[in-house]
Amino acid sequence: MFRMKALVAAALVFSGSPALAQTPTHQEAKPLEPGREALAISYEKYALPNGLEVILSVDRKLPVVAVNIWYHVGAYHEQPGRTGFAHLFEHMMFQGSRNVADDVHIARLEQLGATDLNGTTSFDRTNYFETVPSNHLETALWLESDRMGFLLDAITPEKLETQREVVKNERRESIETAPYGAAREKAWHALFPLPHPYHGDVIGSMKDLNAANVDDVKDFFRKWYAPSNATLAIVGDFDVAKTKALVEKYFGTLPSHARPQRPEVAPVNLTAPVVLREEERVARLPLLSIQWLTPAYLEEGDATADVLATALSTGKASRLYRRLVLDKELAQSVSATQQSQGAQSVFSVDVVARPGVSTDTLLHEVDAVLDEVRQQGITPEEIARARTRYDTRTLAGLQSVGGFGGKADVLQSYNHFVGEPNYVAQDLARYESVTPEAVKQFAQNTLRPGARVILHAVPPARRQAPLDSKERH
Amino acid sequence: MRRLFSALLVTTLAACASNPKPAPANPDSPALGEKAAPAEATADAESFRATPPQPGKAPDLVLPTFQSAKLDNGITVIVSTRRELPLVFAGVAFAAGSAQDPKGKEGLAELTYRMLLEGAGKRDTVVLDNAFADLGVTPAMDVQADGAQVGVRVLTRNLDAAMALLSDVVLRPAFSLDAFERRKKQQLADLARAMGQPGVLAQMAYLEAVFGLQHPYGHLPDGTPASVQGLTLADVMGFYRKHTGPKAQAVILTGDISLEEGVALAKKHFSWSKNKATPPPPPPATKAPPRQQVYVVPKPGLDQTLLLVGRAGIAAGNPDEYPLELATTVFGGFFGSRLNMNLRENKGYSYGAGASLSPRLGVGPLTAYSSVRQDVTGPALSEVMNELTGLKDRPITAEELEAAREGLIRAFPGAFESVEGLGASAAALFITRRPLDEFNRTVEGLRDATAAEVQRMAEKYLDPAMMQIVLVGDPATIQEQVTPLGLGKLVPIEPDEAPVPRAAK
Repeated sequence: MFRMKALVAAALVFSGSPALAQTPTHQEAKPLEPGREALAISYEKYALPNGLEVILSVDRKLPVVAVNIWYHVGAYHEQPGRTGFAHLFEHMMFQGSRNVADDVHIARLEQLGATDLNGTTSFDRTNYFETVPSNHLETALWLESDRMGFLLDAITPEKLETQREVVKNERRESIETAPYGAAREKAWHALFPLPHPYHGDVIGSMKDLNAANVDDVKDFFRKWYAPSNATLAIVGDFDVAKTKALVEKYFGTLPSHARPQRPEVAPVNLTAPVVLREEERVARLPLLSIQWLTPAYLEEGDATADVLATALSTGKASRLYRRLVLDKELAQSVSATQQSQGAQSVFSVDVVARPGVSTDTLLHEVDAVLDEVRQQGITPEEIARARTRYDTRTLAGLQSVGGFGGKADVLQSYNHFVGEPNYVAQDLARYESVTPEAVKQFAQNTLRPGARVILHAVPPARRQAPLDSKERH
Repeated sequence: MRRLFSALLVTTLAACASNPKPAPANPDSPALGEKAAPAEATADAESFRATPPQPGKAPDLVLPTFQSAKLDNGITVIVSTRRELPLVFAGVAFAAGSAQDPKGKEGLAELTYRMLLEGAGKRDTVVLDNAFADLGVTPAMDVQADGAQVGVRVLTRNLDAAMALLSDVVLRPAFSLDAFERRKKQQLADLARAMGQPGVLAQMAYLEAVFGLQHPYGHLPDGTPASVQGLTLADVMGFYRKHTGPKAQAVILTGDISLEEGVALAKKHFSWSKNKATPPPPPPATKAPPRQQVYVVPKPGLDQTLLLVGRAGIAAGNPDEYPLELATTVFGGFFGSRLNMNLRENKGYSYGAGASLSPRLGVGPLTAYSSVRQDVTGPALSEVMNELTGLKDRPITAEELEAAREGLIRAFPGAFESVEGLGASAAALFITRRPLDEFNRTVEGLRDATAAEVQRMAEKYLDPAMMQIVLVGDPATIQEQVTPLGLGKLVPIEPDEAPVPRAAK
């Protein structure tokens, strides 16, 4: 499963970046289980001589076609002192190129009826996509190829300055003025200490955003934005032969070089708990967030973590919700997630307190629930429910040809992480092998009390939600 | 109406995905947008890139189709068939929402509908949730001003079981006292939480500024701490009895199902419902008086200021809707709109700015919005007002109008890919009592609107003097930067600070 939490319009993605397979393995697509036939996706994959990978998948449900390009570069590849740069660069890709005037990229697509139009940056990759009426496929290819080949012709310091301000506002919306935004960022820093490239989160720091210059843009483009480091997916209602010719016309002559090497980074190993007590400036209720480093996307343990997260917090019968929200009425909301990422994933449990409840009380309760899992695992029924949920969700993801998590993104994601665009069956098969015992082992060995970051984000007493005086202790 | 599933939203603060831009008159022609190719490039093999491609023949515009039937007991069944995948959205829409909250009991509709998922038939909260989880889903409940919907997206093979559960939820809610007391405390804590969310504070103040607290649209569905505090289980059961029943409900089925199959399923699970409730009348129209003041929700030290600028707009079915949608799109509906290009792409004041028209069953809001850097609060608000004035001083050009028209119309097919999106649209059609062929009418309306009509709508509805202004942010900065703009006296709005009961046992 990969999940994306994206902000709109040239957005960034904090999560959802599963792992780059060291050696792309071409596995034979496993036959789909009975009842899962609808998950089969037919596609064709090939490469141009300049290294650009192309994935074509016909889907004639509606007269629209999705164009979706993944550049295999993200915040993971940033230079020290330039956190946030991959995402700032993504914004520059919408500012015009040799043959496309400044600022017309999005407007031009909007006025021909494009939907699901955006760009997103994660730790491991950056993507650009639009769904257009089928007669406008060539326009989308023209726009995408011009910025892949000729972006630098149009870069100016003025444009960089404006987008720097736009991105700083994006940061203010998601960090400084968002409930718990600043506190969460500190917890993230603690999970991935420098020099780990995940340290800066995707949005980066104000200081580093201020430091970025035009030379950075040029260097980054030359190194990472070559056709050899990109994959183009076209999904929807199109003619395969004509489209291949168009791809050749627009992308075939773009200069390239050998695919750049992915930097090797030593994994972070937390050896002691890190406790952060932060004064919360925006929200009115306290938040407890507990976070562990967990196996990367698709690695052993990643699927187990998904199942446990579901059993802990999805639905009113889930373990944390039932105990903290329904039975004890200590929490307003609970959320457990496995944020699957390419280098290392993060498992987190977030609990927002009811007025008057301390985060220390919440911590005690969460630990009691986790101790139960550490001792007894979870039930086969909980695992079966999670599996049905993933089957349904995965199928639903294939409804849209483009957009966040649509069919083109699904093909791209599997291609990025395992080299095989149609990996749906293998992905879902991972959950077949999750057992109560595996969940128990995961809780014992990975979700250790001694290797986690614990964030208490607590508003000052005078700004907390007022309590009814007669019930105050 | 452009996208029904967004039409019920008050305003989408976070979004800035789409807004317009002066652009080629005819998107099929190379015109304005492109630069001339550099001289040295024209001669080489890459010179073809200087000319944007010509589109092929436009495909037929595929619009979603909705069919309906009525069972003997009066319940409406709405079906939209989409056979590609074995998925169905199944839901029940209710024709009464938070606009029907009695005075002083704001928050009652929300609490009532949420109680449906706190036990039904023989199942309590946990057993019910597990029954849905066995089908791979958690049901979603959405309560809006004009109605509500509960629904699930399931594999076709789980549809019958899901309908049986939905039938229990809607027709046999447990309404237990324990669950009520708990749910009420959760709603109160939700309100306490909302006070720490600048976007929610902005919406609360905006509804008050545009509709007034006495109007049925003057509050968010959650209500206020004071009003929720007083709600009783008898209130909840009374609301449900008074406002729900087959004549005020629709069973909604979209995806891998035909009308015939849908009617059979609805008969099996919903035909014994008999309550006599009928849909409520639309809320009274609101006047949009000239602005007298600027409302300020103080948030000392906040790094950004939220701006909401708007007024009471139109009700669903108003003939002004389509030309006004076009005018609003040029002003702030697209990424390339005048407003977003000014505040974001030209000035760098914001991550995005936009405007949206939200017709409701009654007169709904017309709203422009942005979050801007604190130290440019005054200049940014000034630019919003300039762009409103600009609609008169710099009339909408033919290029702008055709870009908006073509963009809106051609985006229809791609906007209806998912069964849950179709389900939300069907619910919105039912709740705002629109005809089932509304999307065809919308396309015709957008196509037929003349330039003169669109300009007239811009001047009639987007008159800066008639726009209410709500700012959430640092009060000292707002005082210093907004006072000199002469937009009206600054009036603070403090959110309700009534205490909430301690939840912990």
